[in-house]
Amino acid sequence: MIKLDVNKVYKNFGGLQALAGVTFKVRGPELIGLIGPNGAGKTTLTNIMDGVYKPSSGTVYLGGHRIDTLPPYQVARAGLGRTFQVTRAFRRMTVMENLLVPAMALHPTAGRKALERRAWEVLEFLTFEHLANDYGRSLSGGQQKLLELGRLLMLDPDVIILDEPFAGVHPKLMEKIYEYIITVNAQGKAFIIISHDMDTIFTLSKRLLVLNFGELIADGDPKEVRHDPLVVEAYLGEEE
Amino acid sequence: MNRKWLSLGLVAASVLALIAFGVVLEPYPYWMHIAIVAFFYAILASSWSLLAGYAGQFSFGHMAFMAIGAYTAGIFGKFIRLSTAPTGICSEIPLGNTWLVFLNAIPERGTVTGQNCLELGKAHMPVGTLIYQLPAMPGIVLGIIMGGIFGFLIGLLVLRLRRTYLALFTIGFSEILRTALNAEIDITQGPNGLELAPLFPKGVHLFGYYFSSVNKVPPYYVMLALFLVSMAVMYWLAASRFGLFIRSIREDEEAAAALGVHIVRYKVLVFVVTSMIAAAAGAVQAHYITVITPNILLIMQMSLVIAMAVIGGLESLIGAAIGAIIIEFALELLRTSFTIGPIVVEMTTWRLVFFGLLLMLTLRFWNNGLIHPIIQRLTRVGWAEEAVSRRVAMAEEME
Repeated sequence: MIKLDVNKVYKNFGGLQALAGVTFKVRGPELIGLIGPNGAGKTTLTNIMDGVYKPSSGTVYLGGHRIDTLPPYQVARAGLGRTFQVTRAFRRMTVMENLLVPAMALHPTAGRKALERRAWEVLEFLTFEHLANDYGRSLSGGQQKLLELGRLLMLDPDVIILDEPFAGVHPKLMEKIYEYIITVNAQGKAFIIISHDMDTIFTLSKRLLVLNFGELIADGDPKEVRHDPLVVEAYLGEEE
Repeated sequence: MNRKWLSLGLVAASVLALIAFGVVLEPYPYWMHIAIVAFFYAILASSWSLLAGYAGQFSFGHMAFMAIGAYTAGIFGKFIRLSTAPTGICSEIPLGNTWLVFLNAIPERGTVTGQNCLELGKAHMPVGTLIYQLPAMPGIVLGIIMGGIFGFLIGLLVLRLRRTYLALFTIGFSEILRTALNAEIDITQGPNGLELAPLFPKGVHLFGYYFSSVNKVPPYYVMLALFLVSMAVMYWLAASRFGLFIRSIREDEEAAAALGVHIVRYKVLVFVVTSMIAAAAGAVQAHYITVITPNILLIMQMSLVIAMAVIGGLESLIGAAIGAIIIEFALELLRTSFTIGPIVVEMTTWRLVFFGLLLMLTLRFWNNGLIHPIIQRLTRVGWAEEAVSRRVAMAEEME
């Protein structure tokens, strides 16, 4: 089944074309890497999939439902979750409250106790139980990234977009994030991971999308993409 | 569990103390008045704390919503009467055997339908016709509704505005309203002030005692009741998903939306709720003071409410309320001038300087205010242990 269908998406900001006919499909619980040089359009594409921007033309379908016309909160409820390049944990809210926000938004009639129970499971998964009542601001950068991942678990989306999940994270926590991605992916969730950490992205992803100047210049197996002349020229530099 | 009962006990004791305070202060109308005004500011400061501290909407228009409530109640009292017979001149709506009569707001000089159409109409009305002013309550309710409507409109207009722009927009709204109230003399009496009937024009019987219309005991309990009800409503909202969502919006709108929070709904809703509470306070206060002028919209008044909330604790409803009560009493207590040797310290002026200094020091050194940290310290005692025991209890429940 096609989880996400991005079809001929264009985005113009005045005279600047940020995306030029980006097309790809996410079939089932894939682990996709999305790379590209700075200004390639990765964040713009994420913002379009998330509903923050409306495409100038083109469509985005999630599980067969069109989402490019929906506001971000409806896209989230429809089953697309994302994290941001700069960590956006709710700093003056406790870890538990951070987790309850998406759960309560998604289940407006559910009781708080049931949602808290789910939150404790997520905390256990993240080995964060001891931090439940700590404020977001008191967590380290890496812990805040993990908290964002925890919030996504509470949202329970089908497709998860992670923007730079490994940036500025301690190696130990990096391993934890890595594990998280593998485990959650095995549970049937599709991932689109944006990262500048080439080693990790090539190891982790099973498929690689490469954006350059708003165009999707490569889409395929990471090993093949690595040697694609267009990708080498645009992003990876001279082949060794 | 103990902490929960301790908190409930403290709340119950405080409520009882405030109720008893009304009896104790009865022989001292001046202090009774200060207490009523303190409750009025406590409602405004705590509702502003919900708007700015919880939701992050730094609005300077809170006093404008208060004024909307006050002026709606005032205009309602000035222009609407009940009559047992139709005037035949005024605009009127039959309600069974009585008529709801609308007095003309704008004089049409030179015609028989002048401003006081009721006086002209009396000539044609049967002998024994009763004409009376409606009680304060419908006007207060209408004021609250108007506050909500304006809160909704302003909430929609400022959706995309943040921080400085939101502050400037709401200052603009407040100033426009003040100018309009000053200009529309036919309706609002402009700077001369709009007179209102007292809360209980014929006095009131309470627990076998009669209190005249000027006695301060009934308004004390009315304002106290409004304060307690508004606090209860705000605490209930703050503890609900509404509270969680508005705090997430304060923290990061974009992230909250990406987690499924309907930003527009909750931003507008928090404006509506806090505007209605401010309007309720304004309408009751207007009936208590019995005259309102556009000066209630001066930026100084809004600054006072903000200062009370900041000193009490911006992110704490009860902190802001206690801050408002303490500051209102302190500003009165500090009126007494004194001498240091040959120097006379005029406290009527200097108290405001001290107040300003306290505000500056609070902002610089105690971001969370002076009251909020104390409350937080009291309520977070044993937090970690409690969290563990709650988790164990949940695990047992799941088994």
